[in-house]
Amino acid sequence: MKKPLKTVWSGNFPVDDAAEKPAPSAPETDVSKPRSSAAPVLKFQEGERQKPPRISDTPPAPSPPPKLIDYQPIIGEAALDELRFLATSLHGKTAKMVNSTAVGGGVAEMLNRLIPLLAEVEVPTRWDVITGGNDFFELTKAFHNALHGGDYTLTKEGRELFLAYNEQNQQRMTFDEDLIVIHDPQPAGLIRARDKSHARWIWRCHIDLSNPNRGVWEFLRPMIEQYDAAIFSSPSFARQLPIPQYLFYPCIDPLSEKNKDLDDSVVQKVCDDFGIDRSRPIVTQISRFDRLKDPIGVVQAYKLAKPYVDCQLVLAGGGASDDPEGAIVLKEVEEAAQNDPDIIILNLPPWCAVEINALQRASTIVVQKSLREGFGLTVTEALWKGKPTIAGAVGGIPTQVIPKLTGMLVHSVEGCAYQIRYLLTHADFANQLGKNGREHVKENFLMTTNLRRWLMLFRLMLGTAG
Amino acid sequence: MATLEIVKDPMHTAGKPFYFNSSAHLLRIGRERATTLSEFLDALHTCPDDSIFQHTFRTLEEHHFIRQGFSNDFAHWAFTVCNEVVLAEHLAGLDVRDFTSIASLRERIIKIVADYIQWSPNSKDRVAREPFYFCSSEIVVLHSLFIARNLAEFSEGLSHATVHCIHHHFIEARLRLKLMSNDFSLWLQEEMHLPEVARAVNRIDIYTATLENVRRKILRIVATAMD
Repeated sequence: MKKPLKTVWSGNFPVDDAAEKPAPSAPETDVSKPRSSAAPVLKFQEGERQKPPRISDTPPAPSPPPKLIDYQPIIGEAALDELRFLATSLHGKTAKMVNSTAVGGGVAEMLNRLIPLLAEVEVPTRWDVITGGNDFFELTKAFHNALHGGDYTLTKEGRELFLAYNEQNQQRMTFDEDLIVIHDPQPAGLIRARDKSHARWIWRCHIDLSNPNRGVWEFLRPMIEQYDAAIFSSPSFARQLPIPQYLFYPCIDPLSEKNKDLDDSVVQKVCDDFGIDRSRPIVTQISRFDRLKDPIGVVQAYKLAKPYVDCQLVLAGGGASDDPEGAIVLKEVEEAAQNDPDIIILNLPPWCAVEINALQRASTIVVQKSLREGFGLTVTEALWKGKPTIAGAVGGIPTQVIPKLTGMLVHSVEGCAYQIRYLLTHADFANQLGKNGREHVKENFLMTTNLRRWLMLFRLMLGTAG
Repeated sequence: MATLEIVKDPMHTAGKPFYFNSSAHLLRIGRERATTLSEFLDALHTCPDDSIFQHTFRTLEEHHFIRQGFSNDFAHWAFTVCNEVVLAEHLAGLDVRDFTSIASLRERIIKIVADYIQWSPNSKDRVAREPFYFCSSEIVVLHSLFIARNLAEFSEGLSHATVHCIHHHFIEARLRLKLMSNDFSLWLQEEMHLPEVARAVNRIDIYTATLENVRRKILRIVATAMD
């Protein structure tokens, strides 16, 4: 019996695993039998599948942000005209966005794209980042966890520290614009400057406030109530407040490295590099090695489905190199995989956007079997690529995955396994899900839709909406 | 099926041109939320008109690409979250084109839910898997993106319009017009004197066609009349 083949690309790049270990052999196959887990038919020859690709150990330089016209092939000329039209009554108005970090994280990524687009439609928008010591950011990290429902006791010193840093930033900054948008709790205390400003103030909350720590929320609430409006990512994330609350779904940029169209040769190369056989079905989950993403549940679902449908499972994500918990989960996933040659586990650095894009595009089905989730932008990415998607019914996922219309929602390993079997054997239905899913994203979760929402809100806030 | 009249003068110019407008919507999170049918019924009485509009008329715009199974948010919640299939069918059977006012639409929805609770009293306080969050829609109308003075320009404008524009003129219009019609049909009838074409356009089933299909069907009807 030959050793089973297994491909693991696990951090510490670039590494040539094959150079360090004897090349494992392909499993014995009997082509007279139908394809199943017992008889995988591999396109790759012995020793070919475990060659890890050479991935840069530093992030690539960021590409310049797209222009509005670059979105025309995606949303059409008329939709661009509507955006420009929406902006006309805002000409001459200015806005400011304030958050707590210039790089890293979803908010900074979104602002990097949004602000140039606002400028292009002649709504000049300044982006300011608050400053603070480690003590401030440790405190606001604790706030973040507490607002997600974690245990935390806010002390008098904590309250004073938060207000002092906000006061310091308030003194340093000016608020001469017509609209001030404050992102998340860290700079929420800047609202104390509103008496010195003619602006309308908006609080954009990117986190789930459905079950906040009472002490932290009661501290922040009087500040939030002074804003003119608040924005949440889901109705379920909102709190009862005396100010208008708006719904802005998180969005993806269809022109980003992670979502832009790729030439098939790029997809093929990534698959070749990672040892993925595109001639056979590919089931993929992209996510951090985190228990809440249930990667072991995905392996179990794959194993339940495999006797019925031939497929490969790709589990790709990060978090195992910089997070001790992630490394433990990765090890558990490897153990659960039990050297199955058709389970391909990839621990990738965060800047592998093109590789992630290619893996999603190469997939026959994308799975996101989360047990808990924020909005679930990996689901948005998969839907945008027209992929039939199976996802856990948690967080913002049901907003995106409408059962049997834009994807399939599951609540268990068994449910996930069944849907893998069903979609892999009902291509027409799966394709229709993919098509609907892409349209759903186009209508509701793209950067251009987000721009449309901002322009609408600015008009409403300034009374130019009529 | 009625035969369409043939356009005698394809270059006939309308007395009043057709202004292709559109509307942009912003979702506002409402105060009402319901976790049981009883709470749902209460909220249906108290929620603003904009909420009824959002969860019925606007559903068709937000999910314009879906051909079946998603006629309004209320039916979707009853089916997928409450597992109340009979109620879902009744709610899904609502056709917003039968209503020219939100008040009458609200009345009809309340009657459906109240009748269902009476028919199935045990359903009243059964807790749904997820609450229903009432939202409403703030609207900005975008005026005169294109102007059509004859049928050729009308077809040209329609072929380039966004689905938001089609929704604005074809679906939202009846609330504005207070007529069982739509802006396209009204213009075709009153300005182009094509009553059969107008009727054929008004008969297009928005519940079995996507908004893109609606566009194609209108263009086909107009093209047939121009042939």
